[in-house]
Amino acid sequence: MKRRAGYALLAAAAALALGACSGSRPHKDNDVRVAIYANPSSLSLIGNTDQNSTQIASMISDGLVAYDAQGHYVPMVARSFELSQDGKTLTFHLRDGVLWHDGVGVTSRDVAYTVAKVKDPATQARSWVSLFANVDEVETPDDLTVVVHFAKAYGDALEPWRVPLVPEHVASKDPNFLGGAFAHHPIGCGPFRFVSYDAGQRVVLEAFDRYWGGRPAMDRMIVKIVSAERTGYESLLLGELDLLGVTPDLWRDALTAREASRLARFVYYRLGAWKIDWNQNEATPFFHDKRVRRALVLALDRKRFAETVSAGLARPGVSSYPPESPWADPSIVALPYDPAECARLLDEAGWRATSQGSLREKDGRPLRFTLILPAGAQEIADRVAAWIQQSLAEVGVGMKIEKLGWEAFQQRRKTHAFEAAMSTVLFDPTADRFDLYHSTAKDGGFNYGSFSDAEVDRLLEEGRATVDPAARRVVYYQLQHRLDDLQPLAFLFQFAQPVLHDPDLEGIVPSAVGLFQFTPGPRAWHWSSARRRN
Amino acid sequence: MRGSRSSILWGLTLVSIIAVCALLAPWISPDPNRIDLGSVLSPPSTTHWLGTDGLGRDVASRLVHGARISLLIGLTTGILSVLIGLPIGALAGYAGGAIDAALSRLIEATLCFPGLVITIALLSVGPSWLLALPETARIALALSLIGWTHAARYLRGEFRRLRSSESITSARAAGAGHLRIVWRHLLPQSLGPILVTLAFGVGGAALAEATLSFVGVGISPPTASWGELLFQALHHVGHAWWLALFPGAALFLLLLGCNELSEGLRMKLDPRRRAA
Amino acid sequence: MLPAIASRIATAMVTLLIVTFVVFALLCALPGGPQGGDDAARPLPPEYRAALRAQYHLDEPWPARYGRWVKDLVRGELGTSFSAQQPVARMLKERFPVSLGLNALALLTMLGVAVPLGILGASEPDGPWDRAGWIATTALYAVPVFWTALLLQWLFAIRLGWLPLSGISTDGARHPSVAFTFADAVWHLVLPAACLASGGLAYVSRFVRTNIVESTAGEGGKAARARGLSMLQYAARHGVVQAVVPLLTLAGFLIPRLVGGSLLIEAIFNVPGLGSLLFDSILSRDLPVVLALTLLSGLATLLGTTLSDVLILWLDPRVRHAR
Repeated sequence: MKRRAGYALLAAAAALALGACSGSRPHKDNDVRVAIYANPSSLSLIGNTDQNSTQIASMISDGLVAYDAQGHYVPMVARSFELSQDGKTLTFHLRDGVLWHDGVGVTSRDVAYTVAKVKDPATQARSWVSLFANVDEVETPDDLTVVVHFAKAYGDALEPWRVPLVPEHVASKDPNFLGGAFAHHPIGCGPFRFVSYDAGQRVVLEAFDRYWGGRPAMDRMIVKIVSAERTGYESLLLGELDLLGVTPDLWRDALTAREASRLARFVYYRLGAWKIDWNQNEATPFFHDKRVRRALVLALDRKRFAETVSAGLARPGVSSYPPESPWADPSIVALPYDPAECARLLDEAGWRATSQGSLREKDGRPLRFTLILPAGAQEIADRVAAWIQQSLAEVGVGMKIEKLGWEAFQQRRKTHAFEAAMSTVLFDPTADRFDLYHSTAKDGGFNYGSFSDAEVDRLLEEGRATVDPAARRVVYYQLQHRLDDLQPLAFLFQFAQPVLHDPDLEGIVPSAVGLFQFTPGPRAWHWSSARRRN
Repeated sequence: MRGSRSSILWGLTLVSIIAVCALLAPWISPDPNRIDLGSVLSPPSTTHWLGTDGLGRDVASRLVHGARISLLIGLTTGILSVLIGLPIGALAGYAGGAIDAALSRLIEATLCFPGLVITIALLSVGPSWLLALPETARIALALSLIGWTHAARYLRGEFRRLRSSESITSARAAGAGHLRIVWRHLLPQSLGPILVTLAFGVGGAALAEATLSFVGVGISPPTASWGELLFQALHHVGHAWWLALFPGAALFLLLLGCNELSEGLRMKLDPRRRAA
Repeated sequence: MLPAIASRIATAMVTLLIVTFVVFALLCALPGGPQGGDDAARPLPPEYRAALRAQYHLDEPWPARYGRWVKDLVRGELGTSFSAQQPVARMLKERFPVSLGLNALALLTMLGVAVPLGILGASEPDGPWDRAGWIATTALYAVPVFWTALLLQWLFAIRLGWLPLSGISTDGARHPSVAFTFADAVWHLVLPAACLASGGLAYVSRFVRTNIVESTAGEGGKAARARGLSMLQYAARHGVVQAVVPLLTLAGFLIPRLVGGSLLIEAIFNVPGLGSLLFDSILSRDLPVVLALTLLSGLATLLGTTLSDVLILWLDPRVRHAR
């Protein structure tokens, strides 16, 4: 009797506790909390930077120019710039009154110092150094003028000048750029000043009062380091984060979860895609023929996958110039789902099925290949691969899937020891795709499939050397048509970027390059007046 | 106290049911990899008893076929661990003295390696010969490279005990040579401890496989394994509870069975219990 | 006594050298390396790659590089991390207290939960509490740790809001005092420690229960029951000591796991401990860090096993009497 009463009491207490209020505690201060998924590799603004580091660096220090929301260049620390007629000289006129976070003025010497630092191998400026390969000399005739001389004319001449500027008067004092005082406490000229970094936990930035573009509306920006997407989502529900990009599956959760009903949400697309590199070197016989490459994509019902598996948060990929790119040719559209045409192309290319339901063959060799993909990529990668496998099996093509650790995957790609490789790729708004398609980019570049076409090479070189934007556009449109015909890479999907955020956080504008690395970006975010009054 | 008999019986029953399901998988369930985009993430129903996953594949089929992989990995790891651990542990326990000291140092040295991390690293970036192996073999080998120490230590203890047991001492007193002792006395008596190690190892390896899937170095898609099912389920926990419940329950039952079996055997073998 | 200790130390040093040598060789045999930079958006120019290789002495034969490391070690130098460009010693110093705290809390949890459970189970063997306890702890063992974490996070952090979700410090704290930081960290480690401990509850509680049952099955137990003492009271008086002391031998299992054992927990709960550092360093081929952590792991293992051996010898009545 006593025991039963005891159990009943226990059960009642448990029910009461569980039914009690959830742990949601949104904060009320004027800070904004966002998340990144890994430790930034370095805070030194330009040295040894990965994606997370560049995101943070873009908030701490400005470059001479920056992207706007559409991917065009707008002046930042430079108030104006002129490119010479021959495209070999670029002159920047700096704004007067741009200050470093310690109050010292930004001068042209800082620009020259930054360039020198980027080119120095000891800095390991992975994200920037190749952009400056073409820069011969940087002159500083006076404090507010920078004259850059290029070795040859280069169409994307402004791209390197997004690099965050590094203060010469501070950084030059420490010989150990990557590990010394500057790397632990970077000083920049951007809208946010660095406050602290707790390894593995968060980076704290605060608004810079004397920013040339006006003080950001928030007091502090706290960049939380979050280990997994799910944890980030839960932090968002608890109010520990104010803004988070989520996966389509978490988006689905948020549609029904009670705690998520108060959140605002939107979806946008970035300049990124999921692609397959088809190996076109001598070792693999399958993908030399452009008909085969085209046919394999025609076998995939991408729209259906996007609707069902991704709940509409994806769309078929088109090319390496996604629709959001300022250089995209709008007349080029995604390949349709057309298994009949696929079968016809494969037959025409000589790959025929001997009997119903068997694999296609040519010269006695069955059309069976292995697709490698990296582990640790998003979970959807597994499903995409499995779906491709079944779709191809329906047209008589055999595909095996092999999941590898990231390093092993990269190794196989770089040494061209693969047949097909699936991965994500991020583009920037520039026009150049040299590293992806040029025949010399086979070793050291990103042309993993050893693709080679004389016309494409010519167009890539011409595009690089042309300075006039209208003329460039003609060249790059021609390039896109040629690439559309040849299909050297299969651009499978563009996955949307769903974003959930606190409804009182306003001013969030998505761009083709994400939420952060453009102007105005995060410095325009602010809390609504209603919330601030509470 | 619960008899060792009932433990063994329970354990054996659970493991057998799972093993039989796994063996009969191709005959009792449809294609586990059949994608059906029309019924993505549908809850349990009459057509799909345990629901479907993120590609519309039948969870029940994947569970049953996944049992094959998980059991295979578990068994292979267990056997490999015993194959490595038995000679070392037995020799150390039986021979004693300097040989024991040297082998114990070897076991200790292997324990010094931060095990799980090294395993994951090996499977992630591994030497090419390792990555060239078929996946179940690769995972089993990597897991057994750290798992054998448990087997070795336990078996060492058992063989030390055996060495001083009555049958052995009387055989030695009767003048029997080492080889004869090993053949006639040790090996038959070591069957018990080996089974204990195996039973425990199988369960542990199945669990470890789930962890490897989480880190991303498990089985490649589209093959189903319980680890892969549980990992997939993580991403749908808010809107598809069935993806986690059934594989989780299955894994739980397997581990319960293995533990019961191993505990029961251990109790049966322990002389203290026998005396009581 | 002294020569025994000296020889133990000598064997330990040799073991550690062998272990670090093997790890070094293993890492050098794997593809990739610090000159990678492979997720950079742009390719690296070749002369740049060459400069990096020279900086890290990557073109030297690896036995020579190992020798260089040993030489530095003898001088007390652990080197500089390739990825973080920081002294390795400092990185270890930052993370060691976190790992220590996590494992210590996990141990406390394990003892605090498993021992009472074992006693409870032993008070009425095969009774409802015993069976329920066994099923529950086996369930915790059987569920992969990432699921236990999810469950505990959902229950305690989201639903009830009693504990923090992840990390080891609270956001928004401005200029916290040392005491606050410490308490904050402990507070944050409760959930990860509980997860870490959850897998071992089955073994420990069964261990305790079995020992108690054994010791009370003898004459003393029967006599006590004849006198009207409940099993629980008898166990509390006599059984606990006999049950708990052998738990000390668990030290042999737990201390070695200090470095690598909590890798998954650290990743899930975003706890900056040694496990995640080791994992990241192996993947980025950050040799100085990997070697330093392997050394630490080896030391911990040797300490743990020695302690465990000593304790077993001390406790085992047969061996004591034989001496």
